[in-house]
Amino acid sequence: MRQRIVVLGGGTGGTMLANSLDRRRFETTLVTASTTHLFQPGLLYVAFKNAGTPLVRDERGLLARHVHLVHDTVTSVDLTHQLVETAGGSRLAYDRLVVATGIQTDPSGIPGLADVVGRVGDYHSTVSQARLLWQSLDRFRGGTIALGQTTPICKCPPSPIEGILLADELLRRRGLRERSRLVFFTPYPRPYPAEPMNHVVEPILKERGIEVATFFDVDRIDPESFTLTSIEGDVIECDLPILVPPFTGAPIAYEPAGVLDESRFVRTDPRTLRVRGTGTAFAIGDATSLPTSKSGVGAHLEAQVVARTLRGSPATFAGRTHCPFDLAHGRGTFVAGTYDAPVVPSPPSRLKHVMKATFARLYWLSLRGTLDPALDLYFRLTDPARPRWRGLRGPHPGT
Amino acid sequence: MDTTTQPPRTLVDSRGSSCPGPITDLSMAYRRSTVGDVIELWATDPGVKSDARAWSQKTGNPILSLDERADGTIVVIIEIKRR
Ligand SMILES: Cc1cc2nc3c(=O)[nH]c(=O)nc-3n(C[C@H](O)[C@H](O)[C@H](O)COP(=O)(O)OP(=O)(O)OC[C@H]3O[C@@H](n4cnc5c(N)ncnc54)[C@H](O)[C@@H]3O)c2cc1C
Repeated sequence: MRQRIVVLGGGTGGTMLANSLDRRRFETTLVTASTTHLFQPGLLYVAFKNAGTPLVRDERGLLARHVHLVHDTVTSVDLTHQLVETAGGSRLAYDRLVVATGIQTDPSGIPGLADVVGRVGDYHSTVSQARLLWQSLDRFRGGTIALGQTTPICKCPPSPIEGILLADELLRRRGLRERSRLVFFTPYPRPYPAEPMNHVVEPILKERGIEVATFFDVDRIDPESFTLTSIEGDVIECDLPILVPPFTGAPIAYEPAGVLDESRFVRTDPRTLRVRGTGTAFAIGDATSLPTSKSGVGAHLEAQVVARTLRGSPATFAGRTHCPFDLAHGRGTFVAGTYDAPVVPSPPSRLKHVMKATFARLYWLSLRGTLDPALDLYFRLTDPARPRWRGLRGPHPGT
Repeated sequence: MDTTTQPPRTLVDSRGSSCPGPITDLSMAYRRSTVGDVIELWATDPGVKSDARAWSQKTGNPILSLDERADGTIVVIIEIKRR
């Protein structure tokens, strides 16, 4: 008999996983709230470069024909009785469940934030918000831009620094840099959270004249004067605040409720990817509490691990991350690490910038699994746990 | 009967999480804390020592103790005095 698999969320991880389960052994249903699929990394270029590449495709067209697609919002998941309920009134029983509902921006916890992002835009939620941010940047004629993540958890950790570097590039191109002050703020002790990578990033910020405010956890914002105040008591005044709002997990009621942490992330075993305390549910991607970066690459690799386990050969996740990092002016780098081999600093180059752009073009194909053999080889060759790779890079600076 | 009231203690378990995991968890706990709370942070990443010291200095919340247990767990106890 075929196993009934229910996948929640049709983003990067959910789509890849559903496509990788064959029809002979699995009866796969994917439930997703949106009829469309957004290529989120592209929001950066809409916001800072006014890129016109379409970022959205119809989810049905991205799924293998045998995957049953339900367009509905999941409202509750009963892990004890293996039952999913949706806003539209469907009740779906499952043999195995995979939660891949991602995370979403939630400005509500910081006074003034919803008002500011509503007026200025942001680049971590929707295409229209990213366009609004482009319009704000396009109107900017000099003054202070303050950019940063409001709280420590950020989807795609390089994205705040990418944002400030692209803002710097834009102002230089427009001849406005002399008339502008750029302030990068962060709740962390250094501009890039992972120390080895910070050794690459901090000199670049310095070289480009970008000021840095560390330990700046945004407490409140005055939406009239654009004054940001941190929990630590510091103040930044600016003309254009570009803010990464806090993130939260999907508003789904779980039974037992204890599987969610304080940020509504699903408590997940870091290696087996099983939802804590259950034998029949897994979680992948941004929705999880895994102690690793929230990235599409992570969602992809986690989907592969769960697919292998579902097929009967239990696999484990090594915590691999591999985030492409745009350093602007045509240069790029990568942030790669695993649970056991922390982030390795990788020198910036033009080639890595080209690779980032290439990955973006290949995204839609990768959802079908078509590129898996090539990507598997690439991830193996660049695995920071490989002795050759570590040898090439030398020891971590500062360790 | 012991009538001493202990301040609420929040345990933040960041064991197994590498830099910047522990400082992320500490910051999130700080955000949810109120003056008088005590945060007990467990971590295995050695970078937590310098990060927690820098954090304490910046925020004005003193580290009551910073110990390393035999099993490699670093335990940092912080009193929240400023928010
Ligand atoms: C600016 C930016 C730049 C980025 N750059 C990179 C990069 O260079 N490299 C990289 O690897 N990653 C990058 N990312 C991160 C990457 O996009 C995400 O980490 C990735 O999409 C996570 O995949 P996921 O499947 O976990 O969640 P998502 O792709 O977010 O999908 C979640 C899905 O769940 C659905 N859903 C949510 N709630 C419900 C519900 N209640 N019921 C039903 N369905 C629901 C949503 O509609 C969505 O379809 C970037 C992100 C941003 C914002």
